[in-house]
Amino acid sequence: MIELSHVSKHFGADTAVDDISLHVAKGKFCALVGSSGCGKSTTLRMINRLIEHSSGDIIIDGQAIGHYDPVKLRRRIGYAIQSTGLFPHWTVAHNIGLVPRLLKWPAADVKARVEELMRLLGLPTEEFAHKYPHQLSGGQAQRVGVARALAADPDILLMDEPFGALDPITREKLQDELAKLQARLHKTVVFVTHDMDEALKLADHLVVMREGRIVQQGAPLALLQAPADPFVESLLGGLERGLKQAALTRVKDHMSSLGQTLPAQSRIPGDFSLRQALSMMLRDHCDRLTVVDQHDMPMGELSLRKVVKEAQLDKVSHRDA
Amino acid sequence: MSQIDALPSPPRQYGHLNSVLICLSAVMLGASWLLDIVSVAPNRIVAGTYYGLVAAIGWPGALLVSLLFIAMGGLAIRPSRLHYYAQLCIVTLILLLMPFGLMVAGHWLIDPALPQARLGIGAAYWVVLFLLLLCLVEVRLRLQLSRLWTALLLSSVGVAWLLCTALWLENLALVQEFQARDQQFYRAMLQHVVLVGIAVSVSIVVGLVLAMLMRRYQRLQRIAFAWLNFLQTIPSLALFGLLLAPLAWLAANVPVLAQLGVSGIGATPALMALIAYSLLPMVRNTYIALDEVDPETLDAAKAMGMRPYQRFWQVRFPLALPILLEGVRITAVQAIGLTAVAALIGAGGLGTFIFQGLGQAAMDMVLLGALPILVLALIVDASLGALADTLRPGGHK
Repeated sequence: MIELSHVSKHFGADTAVDDISLHVAKGKFCALVGSSGCGKSTTLRMINRLIEHSSGDIIIDGQAIGHYDPVKLRRRIGYAIQSTGLFPHWTVAHNIGLVPRLLKWPAADVKARVEELMRLLGLPTEEFAHKYPHQLSGGQAQRVGVARALAADPDILLMDEPFGALDPITREKLQDELAKLQARLHKTVVFVTHDMDEALKLADHLVVMREGRIVQQGAPLALLQAPADPFVESLLGGLERGLKQAALTRVKDHMSSLGQTLPAQSRIPGDFSLRQALSMMLRDHCDRLTVVDQHDMPMGELSLRKVVKEAQLDKVSHRDA
Repeated sequence: MSQIDALPSPPRQYGHLNSVLICLSAVMLGASWLLDIVSVAPNRIVAGTYYGLVAAIGWPGALLVSLLFIAMGGLAIRPSRLHYYAQLCIVTLILLLMPFGLMVAGHWLIDPALPQARLGIGAAYWVVLFLLLLCLVEVRLRLQLSRLWTALLLSSVGVAWLLCTALWLENLALVQEFQARDQQFYRAMLQHVVLVGIAVSVSIVVGLVLAMLMRRYQRLQRIAFAWLNFLQTIPSLALFGLLLAPLAWLAANVPVLAQLGVSGIGATPALMALIAYSLLPMVRNTYIALDEVDPETLDAAKAMGMRPYQRFWQVRFPLALPILLEGVRITAVQAIGLTAVAALIGAGGLGTFIFQGLGQAAMDMVLLGALPILVLALIVDASLGALADTLRPGGHK
């Protein structure tokens, strides 16, 4: 659990972070979003004391971070950054094993843990263990960066635009994998990004920052439904907001039971998003879809008319609950 | 040689006319016919008579050599990988034939009745030797051969030369100079290496400490660089002279120092001057090497929970090592040359032969001092360069 209350950071006369309060519950994924220079990275770096905050309290697991030895604190917090920060003179395996080695784990345990993590992140050991960072593609290097951050099994993970430098396809793939990983590992994550789609896709809790202050925070759907001001609204995509909201809603949650009428021709799996369903309707020129389960068995029906009506009425989403 | 190696390698395309090799071959051909190959003197003092190509190795030899040069140039008109390998063979062949040329010349031109007679090496010989090495560099770059490969080739040629000189070239002036003072030569060689070794090791340690202090205290950085730059501008001869008086005074007034071997002349002032000169390149490279390590990498090291000393010894230092070694290389090569001057204040070393030879107008004796210095510098240069290459992050790139 991470708790920030009335935290500020001044650099000389400049105020980088101005009186922010934030609560990240254990196992939750919190995304800090904002344009560059809004203080989101500074906020992140204050949590593992790479930057010392000027005032306010930062509390981790019930204790103010000032009470921890900064080095020991950092060893129990995973950290991944955009440039990966991999050590160019070390192999992939050596890079990943850094924090366990710093914590003086027995060599055999380090080796086993490194292999486990490489498997977890889809990096075959025999192919990658002995490669050097410059021999990796951007996506592979970032996987190693995430593996290194997870190496000592920390409860907290700080990520500073980890996918910012990747091409859109690789970025999307890694986002999907991170979401899956998080569903399994339940780390407490603070994730900095300027990409709203990325934040909407991954976060349980969304924090929009501007000029060192928090403008609005809450569940992604709540923000989409009621942006606090025009800045948040523009960040959330202006006119595209409706589609972004649809992207966060699953087809399953909006389907109705199979009626008396003939099932629609087009089929969509229940786990797909409403956005994909709308796209499919546009493509196939229809206003009804048959919803199927993972065995391709029909389990319901999605109708355009109902979806539009419900979106209007739907004030509380399943994610808020 | 590694300055040339450091240039970006030319694009790997074959098929276009290689004008560099054609020019080099043409100049070698011209030089071997127009300049003198060898000189023969009846004794050490008298100026010798100079002989050209035909006189030295006869028509068959002259034709063979010319054909080889023409073949070199001809292969460069339409270069291919095969042609470059052929040129590599020709260069090696000529290098191997060169001592035999001297043997033949010695056999024909020197009257066996004159035991004092000696064979000198002429301008054409040096020019061809130098240009052949340039050809070797060019061919090496085109074929993208590794340094190790070239080093092996050159050292096997070197061994062949040493064997020839030891076995059959006793009337070569250089060999006679060596045989007249071989014990002295080995001693001078050892002194030279020891002087350079001590100066370079001391400046590595002092340089590292100074560079680390300078990173911590920015004020020190300006003062130290100002001083080191100033030291570097003093001519080496003057620095040796300047140290003479204070050290002589110290030795006379502090008996402990005198017992330790400190005196106005000899190894002590030589070492002090050598260290003073070595410090600037050493400190500058060490400072830059440590300073240029990517701050993001160091930041990551901190964020992972590495302590300051762990960050230095596990991240900053190993990443700085290749540039740092570059500094050691420059310092060592410079010190090998400077130590020659140290002979003037009685520190010994190979410089002794250079200055004695200059005093006696015996150029062969100058060569006896200068050639080993050159070879020593090349060996140190190549091996430290290769070491820096292998230590680059992630091995060979």
